[in-house]
Amino acid sequence: MRIIVCAKHVTDSTEIRWDDERGEVVLRNLPTKISDYDRNAIEAAVVLKEQGDDVELEVVMVGGEAAVKTLKEAVAMGADKGYLVEGGWDDPFDPVRGARVLARAIEAIDDADLVMCGLVSEDGYNGITGAALAQLLERPYLAPVVGLEPGEETVRATLDLGDVLRTVETPLPCVLGIDSSMNVPRLPTVLQVMKVKGDRVGTLKLADLGLAPGALGELAGGVELAGLGSSAVERKRIVLEGAAEEAAAALVAALKEEGVL
Amino acid sequence: MAARVIVSAADVAGLRRVAEAARTLDGVERVEALALTGDDVVLAPAAAAVDEVATAVGGLADVVLACPGGGALRGDVWAAALQEAAAGGVDAVFLADAPAAREAAGRLSIALGAACASMCDEVTVDGDGALLVRRSVYGGVAAGTLRLGRSPAVCLFAAGVCEAAEAAPAPIEQRAAPAVPWDVVIVAEDTVEKTVDLPGARRVVSVGRGFQKADDLALAQPLVAALDAELGCSRPIAEDFKWLPKERLVGLTGSSVTADLYLALGISGQVQHLTGIKGARVVAAVNNDPKAPIVRNADYIIQADLYKVIPALVAALGGAS
Repeated sequence: MRIIVCAKHVTDSTEIRWDDERGEVVLRNLPTKISDYDRNAIEAAVVLKEQGDDVELEVVMVGGEAAVKTLKEAVAMGADKGYLVEGGWDDPFDPVRGARVLARAIEAIDDADLVMCGLVSEDGYNGITGAALAQLLERPYLAPVVGLEPGEETVRATLDLGDVLRTVETPLPCVLGIDSSMNVPRLPTVLQVMKVKGDRVGTLKLADLGLAPGALGELAGGVELAGLGSSAVERKRIVLEGAAEEAAAALVAALKEEGVL
Repeated sequence: MAARVIVSAADVAGLRRVAEAARTLDGVERVEALALTGDDVVLAPAAAAVDEVATAVGGLADVVLACPGGGALRGDVWAAALQEAAAGGVDAVFLADAPAAREAAGRLSIALGAACASMCDEVTVDGDGALLVRRSVYGGVAAGTLRLGRSPAVCLFAAGVCEAAEAAPAPIEQRAAPAVPWDVVIVAEDTVEKTVDLPGARRVVSVGRGFQKADDLALAQPLVAALDAELGCSRPIAEDFKWLPKERLVGLTGSSVTADLYLALGISGQVQHLTGIKGARVVAAVNNDPKAPIVRNADYIIQADLYKVIPALVAALGGAS
């Protein structure tokens, strides 16, 4: 069985701040990493590789040159090989273009029985890429996957649909959106990451995907960020002083005053 | 100009929400609500017969397109039904967020060559007739405006509230079943008993990383009981440590609250979390770190050890009643 996991190199979302004075989002010089949700997808795939007899596992990483380190970390989790797709198109707000480039990358590497994605990405939170990819590759899409059991020609997956846990079976090949509650991703050690040699990480230029430099515009989904504003809600910010008992009594009094008790 | 808009959702409330968003959009001439029908029930919106759907969107939609959808709600069938309904030209498709709706939106965007936006809070039209979407971006750090410069546009709306209205039911039009080239067979199905209602709770007490171990969460229970509150939590508790199920998660990847009182215990207040508590009327926080972001995003703050403050709060509440 061949598995390809799609993963994204992102800015650590917990470090991103809104700069009130400048009226902009501060994104520069922040730590980067694998999108958390993609680590769940890689973990699910690595488990399949460990359980199966002949499973080939590759990671396709989105995020430009800066993502090499992130890609090695992804491969160190247990993949056979990783590919970095040349960047310039990884706009978090245009999942349609992302899916179009990924579909070409998957075809360029050699198709897989299972294509696995995190349910959302840590930058865009769109939840669209996996389904759009399945449509482009003309195959079923199962999500949000919390349980997985691949067979010879089919895959069986349990989906968490909120009010119901549904187990379904569909023919391979197929695309899966992995839910973050499915597993706890392993953290590769520094040594494991160092051991990922150059021959296990490759680069896919846009030309490798049959794309001319100007063709990225043609793949665009037509979505652009037109404006940004603060999302903060103004709060009173009243600090209640004193020892625990005193502060607790003050809070209860304040909440009564507010009429919420 | 979004002259013709198709709306659909997995439940009646969601359908009313997207139908209202479409009806109130500048330049809209026709709103069509697509309902996927099953063997004897409506699959989407669920728990309603087709005539109930027609009543629910009365005054908002011009017609209900009833389309056979098979045995269970599937995103691929839904996308195919929407694609067929869109034949002849559509300017926008509005869907309410749900797992199957995300699949439908992703597939439909490719099939129609559409612009696609998720998590839409509000959609308007600019001077050139392009759709402008307001949504939270960068994990809730900022409010963004996306311009969808291509027609048709597919918009996936975040959960929202829409009041029922009195109006004549929309007429119903039967459509043919769409075809999907593969089977997705249901092998087993377990209903998950819903015991947690964070969006609807009037008071929410939420726990975060300030609790040092899973067992310590029990400390919050008497406070939850004293306030007659629902228990919520931050992302590390549900997703990293898995001390509580994800249904208790408040924030971007969990529930958004509309409570009168939100009490955050040992929660630092990462933006992903703050996004989920914007709708709370009063936010109180217990946190011993004066630099924690929650401090700037709360109405009342106790800067002290939560292990001491919680029993004191329980005592203060007990004394008050």
